[in-house]
Amino acid sequence: MGAFRIEEADRPHILRLLIVWVILSAIGIVGVLQINYPPYDQSIQGQDQASTLKLLTALATPVFIAVVMMVVYSAIYFRRTTKELVDGPPMLGNTPVQIAWVAISAILVLFLAVVGIATLSSENVAQLVGAPGRTIGGGQTGSGTTGEENKEIHVQVIAQQWYFTYRYPDYGGVETTHLYLPVNHPVELHVTSLDIIHSFWAYQLGVKADANPGVDNIFHVTPQKTGSFQVRCSELCGLWHGHMVDSEGQVVNQSDFDTWIAQQQKDFETIASAVPSYAPYYFPLPLVKGS
Amino acid sequence: MIRRLSWVAAGVVVVVVALVAFVGLFMLRQPGPLEGTTTTLHLETVAAVGQALEWPRPNDPHPDWVGYLPTTTWTVPANSTIQVQIDQEDGATGLRNPFWGKVFGTEGGNMHVTFFDDKGNPQEGDMTSIDPTQAAHTFAIPDLGVFVPLLGVNANAPAGSTNVITFSFKTKGPGRYRWQCFVPCAAKTIFGNGGPMQTIGYMGGTVIVV
Amino acid sequence: MVSPARVSERRLSIPNNPITGILLAIPGYFVGVWLGTLFGLADDQNTGVILGYVFATVLFLAGVGFLNYPLERLFGWRVTPISDPDENRGIGRFFRLSLDHKVIGIQYLVTILVMLLFGGIGAMLIRTSLLVPDSSITPAGNYLPLIGLHSVMMIFITSAVIVGPFGNYLVPLMIGARRMAFPRLEALSFWVVPPAAVILAASILWGGFQTGWTGYPPLSEQAGQGMDSYIVGFGLIAVALVTSGVNMLATIIGLRAPGMTWTRLPIFVWGIFTTSILGLLAAPVLAAALMMLALDRTVNTAFFMASNGGSNYLWENLFWFFGHPEVYIFILPAFGIIMEIVPHFARKPLWGYRTGVVGLFGVALLSWFVWQHHLFVSGIAPVLRPFYMLSTELISIPTGIIFLVTLGTLWRARVWFTVPMLFCLGFLFNFLIGGISGVYLSDVPTDVTLHGSYFSMAHFHYTIMGGEIFALMAAAYYWLPKMTGKMLSPTIGRIHFWVMFIAFNSTFFPLFLAGLLNMPRRVPTYDPALVGLNRWVTISAYFLFASMVLFAGNLIYSWFFVSRPALANPWHARSLEWQVPTPVPARNFDRVPVIVAGPYDYGIPNARPVADLGGIVGATGGG
Repeated sequence: MGAFRIEEADRPHILRLLIVWVILSAIGIVGVLQINYPPYDQSIQGQDQASTLKLLTALATPVFIAVVMMVVYSAIYFRRTTKELVDGPPMLGNTPVQIAWVAISAILVLFLAVVGIATLSSENVAQLVGAPGRTIGGGQTGSGTTGEENKEIHVQVIAQQWYFTYRYPDYGGVETTHLYLPVNHPVELHVTSLDIIHSFWAYQLGVKADANPGVDNIFHVTPQKTGSFQVRCSELCGLWHGHMVDSEGQVVNQSDFDTWIAQQQKDFETIASAVPSYAPYYFPLPLVKGS
Repeated sequence: MIRRLSWVAAGVVVVVVALVAFVGLFMLRQPGPLEGTTTTLHLETVAAVGQALEWPRPNDPHPDWVGYLPTTTWTVPANSTIQVQIDQEDGATGLRNPFWGKVFGTEGGNMHVTFFDDKGNPQEGDMTSIDPTQAAHTFAIPDLGVFVPLLGVNANAPAGSTNVITFSFKTKGPGRYRWQCFVPCAAKTIFGNGGPMQTIGYMGGTVIVV
Repeated sequence: MVSPARVSERRLSIPNNPITGILLAIPGYFVGVWLGTLFGLADDQNTGVILGYVFATVLFLAGVGFLNYPLERLFGWRVTPISDPDENRGIGRFFRLSLDHKVIGIQYLVTILVMLLFGGIGAMLIRTSLLVPDSSITPAGNYLPLIGLHSVMMIFITSAVIVGPFGNYLVPLMIGARRMAFPRLEALSFWVVPPAAVILAASILWGGFQTGWTGYPPLSEQAGQGMDSYIVGFGLIAVALVTSGVNMLATIIGLRAPGMTWTRLPIFVWGIFTTSILGLLAAPVLAAALMMLALDRTVNTAFFMASNGGSNYLWENLFWFFGHPEVYIFILPAFGIIMEIVPHFARKPLWGYRTGVVGLFGVALLSWFVWQHHLFVSGIAPVLRPFYMLSTELISIPTGIIFLVTLGTLWRARVWFTVPMLFCLGFLFNFLIGGISGVYLSDVPTDVTLHGSYFSMAHFHYTIMGGEIFALMAAAYYWLPKMTGKMLSPTIGRIHFWVMFIAFNSTFFPLFLAGLLNMPRRVPTYDPALVGLNRWVTISAYFLFASMVLFAGNLIYSWFFVSRPALANPWHARSLEWQVPTPVPARNFDRVPVIVAGPYDYGIPNARPVADLGGIVGATGGG
């Protein structure tokens, strides 16, 4: 291995590259930090995701600039200047440089992994990515915060070909066609499907959970700002997959929510007896016409 | 030289013809819309499109598929009230999600149904929901919030009977809205949602609001 | 050895060519359909189609001539030698079963380019549909079959586009062998590709399949007969991957010329080596999963149906256990190409050769441990996510080694900017973006928004198209002078490169933004706010297609209309494949060469030429 020596011929190149890299990276990082990253801040989990996105972009910028700069620099300064084909210097490798490169990339990647894992195990995002209870037949809920005002609400998202409906077990299992959530309450989403695989993606809330038949997929979200959000299906589910959009999801304040859910319960009474009682998942019949 | 040129030219012609056929297959096969923009829709739902009463399609590639007739693409004006009459000739299959037994999004929140009771006698009345196990099909435009279950013809009704369901709904701004059925009425497919349920021209289509 | 007197004089006398194959395949299809109807369940329409395709393919292969040797041996007939490579130099040999690896390479090249044309047209139709935010251009029912066809056709293409043409043509030349280890297997790996493509295209007749290339059940069980094309076509590609993998590994391990030690092996051959390991081990998993899907669709087994006791997670895991190594099958040959071409144009040794090889093996090894990153939001046990996030992020370390080696080779070089070199630099730029976007997707919190959106689509197009296809272009411009004997026009080549590079980035970079802005994949409709972005992307895509047309034009022009033949070594490269004359002799080398130096010994004073082509006196050589 030996001492790390920089050859005389390399020094001007390295100096130029370093200066340009530092300047461009500084500009780049400042620039990317100004961007407002999705999924913005309508929910706590969305905000955490947005800051992770910001961190990733800020780290990616100097890496991107470094490699592109090396390629462009080589194209400018290391081109062939003679008419005849002349060989370049016979450099077979430089062990310290190789070790340094691998070490730096390893550190960068491990740092990202550690940050990611830490984010995953932080309370808010642990709830995002699902506590145990996903098992079939389990239905054990995750660790919710239990304050009196901020009681955890359970909402079941039922995906079917090709629409999402929602059930509120805390309110008598009422089924609704749109998703309304009260602000500042932790919500435990139970996502399931009646037929094939769909995926519930509430963009502004930063939630995406696949809906599988016979599976209760549990994700958590805590909305922190009122406003509307859009729900899209993001797992190919057949002809109307692209049309499986609900633009009328709403996060509302407590009183509006209470009014809305009371109205939904009233409307539900006409059909309540025909709808099966709330369960973690359903295997409804009929399977085919006539059965 | 000429020989090579002619080989290349022949190759290019073959390729272009193949491509045009390919493009045509995917872009140009549109199921035809109803003539003109209308505020009244008169539709028929049948168990097999080859044997429909009003608009039979014996030369259909799938004569044994369920379907909405005469077409599944309609053009309607924006911000208007659209009257719909559906002649429902199919027997009941039942809803996968019984929630869709309720009527949503129509004017007055209900529909007017002419049907046959268990003794085979004709009945009629306004309904806000039906027994989900007696649904034959649904008419749903989810983006307009319209979901209407269509009652199946009773097994004790005389042969060739039709239930007539009428309702109306309001359109909003211009656009293309998909509509579908929520009853798993595609025989022999998993969950009943294959085949005609996933083919435009049978149990799903487009409402073009102009 | 049977004495000649006892061998029967009977021999098969049907001419063996694809026409015979097609003529046998058509009745074979109907036999299969009839058998399926006979033995299938009452309401089942899929057994017939699947059996029909299988019979058609087998009879096609029989018509082409694959059953000749087994049947002749079985019945003791005289064995008809298949196209002795020393004779028969006519153009007909490209249309028949040939055991010459060079012919197979050209057959692969032309077939895959034709398939690429159709896949590309599919892409243009998709982008045209997306000019409007509703489905007014392409009817809603036609969009999903269209993307299914485009994506699966492209998967078939990219599985084989480098290993097929260039691996087959060049690996024996690069290692000093006169043939491949198992020529019939290699020919088989080619001859299943046209049936696979035809079967895939035939899915249109049934209305296509709605699942895209991932084929998730229960949707894939709900789909009509178009899905059976996917099952059989993909299964044939799995066969191609396995047979090609076996053959490449045996050739590289066993048929290297004397003196071709592992440390003198061209890095392209290392790339093919690692790819073949992955292909050999991963493809059987796909075949098993497809078999289970076929059984579910035909005889009502319940592998993937939760309502009958199965689980859709089984498919997801099996598919992605294959699918993740599959994408490394796409890119490892591309890494090999870039690291191969750059030293010859930088006129410098490959910097960090052993590190580069370690990088290739690192990628290949780690690719087995990351597949669950496709399932982060699917509802897998939360405890799995940190592990797979870590493993996926770790895979960027060996990938970074590839960049290290290439950038080190460019350092203080005397770069000769030919068209292949331009494509290598384009690769570096594109794969950098592709790789960095992969890190975004590997991070679970960000993956929640990005999974299944256009961000992931832009990521894989950057890595596969920006990576592998750019490497394909570099390889084409570099090696076609040897393979066809004609230089591709450098003027058209430069225009091709710049149009392709700019159009490619203009097409796919905005799609990262589309994904961040709430546009899921595989949708014919989207939020009207994204119309401007989609229209920009579509126009750029038209330019990208135009650049590919330029490439096709360059190929046709140079192949058919340029009369001046290329030099035997136009790039003055050191590696072994350039030391043979153009056109390459039937047996590659007159005598088995003895390798005395590495292929990248540029700038080394008194470096010996890479091989002594006089060979070992008295050696008969392989095969």
